Amino acid sequence: MNHYDIIIIGGGITGTAIAHECSKYKLTAALLERGTDIGIGATKGNGGVVHPGYDPTPGSLKAKINVCGANLYPQLAKDLNFGIINPGIFVIGFTDADEAVLKHKLEFGIKNGVKDLAIINAEQMRNREPHLATDAKHALYAPTATVVDPFEVAIAFAENAKANGVEILTSQLVSAIEKRADGSFLIVTPNQQFTCTYIVNAAGNHADDVASLVGISEYQMKPRHGDLLVLDKDMISKPQTVMFPCPGPDTKGIACIPTVHGNTIVGSTATMMDDKEAVNNYAPGIQALIDGVHKILPELDASKIIRTFAGLRPVVLDNNNDFFIAESKTVTGFIHAAGIQSPGVASAPAIAEQVRDLLDNAGLEMKPKLDYNPYREKKTVFADLSIAEQDALIHQNPAYGRIVCRCETVTEGEIIAAIQGVIPAHTLDAVKRRTRAGMGRCQSGFCQYKVISILSRELGLPVDDICLEDIGSQQLCGSVKGGVK
Amino acid sequence: MKQLNYDVVVIGGGPAGMAAALKAKETGATVAIIERNDELGGILNQCIHSGFGLSYFKQELTGPEYAELFIKQVAAVDIAVYLKTMVIDLSGERQVKAMNEEGMLQIDAAAIVLAMGCRERTRGAIKIPGSRPAGVLTAGLAQRYVNIENRKPGERIVILGSGDIGLIMARRLTLEGMQVLGVYELMPYANGLYRNIKNCLDDFDIPLHLSTTVTNIIGYPHLEAIEVAKVDENFKVFEETREVIPCDTLLLSIGLIPENELSQKSGVSLNPRTNGPLVNEALETDQPGIFACGNVLHVHDLVDNVTLEAEQAGTAAAAYALQQNIEIGVSENRPTETKPSEIKTAIPLSPGENVGYTVPAKMTIPSSKEARILFRVRKPLEQAEVVIQSGATILYQGKPRAFKPSVMEEVVLNPADINGSEQPITVSVREVKK
Repeated sequence: MNHYDIIIIGGGITGTAIAHECSKYKLTAALLERGTDIGIGATKGNGGVVHPGYDPTPGSLKAKINVCGANLYPQLAKDLNFGIINPGIFVIGFTDADEAVLKHKLEFGIKNGVKDLAIINAEQMRNREPHLATDAKHALYAPTATVVDPFEVAIAFAENAKANGVEILTSQLVSAIEKRADGSFLIVTPNQQFTCTYIVNAAGNHADDVASLVGISEYQMKPRHGDLLVLDKDMISKPQTVMFPCPGPDTKGIACIPTVHGNTIVGSTATMMDDKEAVNNYAPGIQALIDGVHKILPELDASKIIRTFAGLRPVVLDNNNDFFIAESKTVTGFIHAAGIQSPGVASAPAIAEQVRDLLDNAGLEMKPKLDYNPYREKKTVFADLSIAEQDALIHQNPAYGRIVCRCETVTEGEIIAAIQGVIPAHTLDAVKRRTRAGMGRCQSGFCQYKVISILSRELGLPVDDICLEDIGSQQLCGSVKGGVK
Repeated sequence: MKQLNYDVVVIGGGPAGMAAALKAKETGATVAIIERNDELGGILNQCIHSGFGLSYFKQELTGPEYAELFIKQVAAVDIAVYLKTMVIDLSGERQVKAMNEEGMLQIDAAAIVLAMGCRERTRGAIKIPGSRPAGVLTAGLAQRYVNIENRKPGERIVILGSGDIGLIMARRLTLEGMQVLGVYELMPYANGLYRNIKNCLDDFDIPLHLSTTVTNIIGYPHLEAIEVAKVDENFKVFEETREVIPCDTLLLSIGLIPENELSQKSGVSLNPRTNGPLVNEALETDQPGIFACGNVLHVHDLVDNVTLEAEQAGTAAAAYALQQNIEIGVSENRPTETKPSEIKTAIPLSPGENVGYTVPAKMTIPSSKEARILFRVRKPLEQAEVVIQSGATILYQGKPRAFKPSVMEEVVLNPADINGSEQPITVSVREVKK
């Protein structure tokens, strides 16, 4: 049985950011993710906005971490080669009363240290967003705000962490944790056991359940559900800016979000739920999204919706909507990175630094690794290359000359690279997240059988065993009558 | 990188592309077909049922048989066929950027025929609530799995949508031993052809539930059940009719959308009613020298009609190309029919009462040729007549009969009927008392 200095439980953007941070130091660490891939909990049910930090109450943990995390993104995107765009945010006011709220946000933002915030008028907004609703009067403009693809960020963190020595293990559902007499922990998963000196609990919506395995009951959690939808790239009134309405008391409201890949996401609703697994879409939520975005962009063509999805924000109850990042008061060496609701994406890199400091305070020696490599190699994206580069690539490897996903121009070469990647893709959705095969307007109607057959060939598994995502999500179930392959 | 040049480049080697290429070749033009799949034939290759060719070949063929007749003709003439080759860009100046295992290709064409076909609408497009499990797929993908890959998508199947592919798959899956529990259709009438309702559902005792839709998808990681409910004429759910049906597969046959990504890259304007290019009577788009036919132009119910339309586009594209060659001095080779230069005007052709769309959407007059007008009604009509008029002048009036949205209608106008028109032309289908 391997012993680690640190075991991180949970492979979302928070857990992988922590793994990435840990990989900078001379220590041993592993990350355990219950899913078949990393980044498939709250991380994938997310709009991808890196909130700059005008929302949290000044002085709160969230305020500090949010602003600090958001500021780390541009450099991280360069080092780890993930996509980032800088569309900025409008928080739009429609009434005079809204203006007071916007000014309040401005004040929060300035106190929190967000740069370049300004209140702008209708004309200034319309210069950027000609399709904006005519009753939009003014907005808080946050020009530094960026947008990322959250699962791409999680994969980038995990791959870089792994390259620097952190073990990233999927399909590891933690079923028991024991604090042993020598102070170390024993962690049990269905097929393995691990021991470690420190546990970092980044288990998202299940952080309270994981904590309870070792007898900790310091907080309770509930998910706040959100519906989201994705619109096609070829849309006439496509927004260039992330646009929120002036917020209500509980949520940031329904926004339209330009994505890294040229789509538009509309999200999200906010409803407290009991079921931590029900990542379903609900008809009233979807309608609320369409109605909500039409208040900002009345001409937005709802027939361009190509996908609906949902996410569950992990909320620690009775915690003022703040994060819960602290060492357990009852079990030493057990560190919580819990309640990472919005703005979890923006905060992840700073949460990782915070957890590093907590580990340091808890007595773990954090000596920088001299051979730490901060860079992650850029993956080949065929569609982004010049025609000469494409030609050269095909000559080098004909698999790049075979288009698998026509909507997103994804080649077989890219799919094979994803399957053989640092954090390998073993499912249809894992391939989709890494390559975009199946992300487009046909939603895998044309390419699914091809991707299944490539996965089957590369993994040496029958096509009937290939899953969409979680175990049990096979898309095929046996041969037709007399069908011999 | 390969640089190539043809008079006519046909994008897509399905039934439309092959028919267009063959007609273009007849005029003496140099022709290439670019096909992304391993073989010509397009979606016909997975349509192993019969019922193709009744009007064009006057015999009943399967999809692969229908395709084969064209594949042989293409092989018999000098048409360059690029298989496993994907067009990834097209400019308004008719420059094609394509790729295959050998590298990138840049092809200059005097004329282009768009024949890329269509794709299926997905779950996202109709926003069905619920979980997002394995076991939900489009009918065409299921057809691919069963007919080409030899794999079953499940055992207990529900089909949403009464489009023809869904109906065909209901029978196909039944014959393969799967249990098809029912077909659910949001509209109060079936969307597929009458013969498919009869042959694929009625003959196999598969129930068709009209004015009923899927309101929830249940189960994760694999589909376990769906919830269905009846809807009123505004598609509002009757709450008391909600019913959960255990199943492991949901097939979606909820409509087809022309695939016009390349058309849009080249600057071609689309008709919001068809999602296909706006074309004139020669099937030329608003980008000169770019023509469109088949399901990329509008969704057809019969391949025979695709073939006829494509032949028209192929002929027109070749005529354009050869005319261009004369004008730029590269060819002495006169097309069979050169147009004298005369002042022509385009007048709009649009759908009137009860008509969903028309192809073409504009007419060039004066014209020396018959004009073929295709359209569909929006809803079933028991007794109605086609009326085509320009302003108040009636150009054509049909005999009273029944109309269905599933059937594409055709009226052929003589040049004499239209050449005097000055006002926009509308196509209506007016209800008449019995």
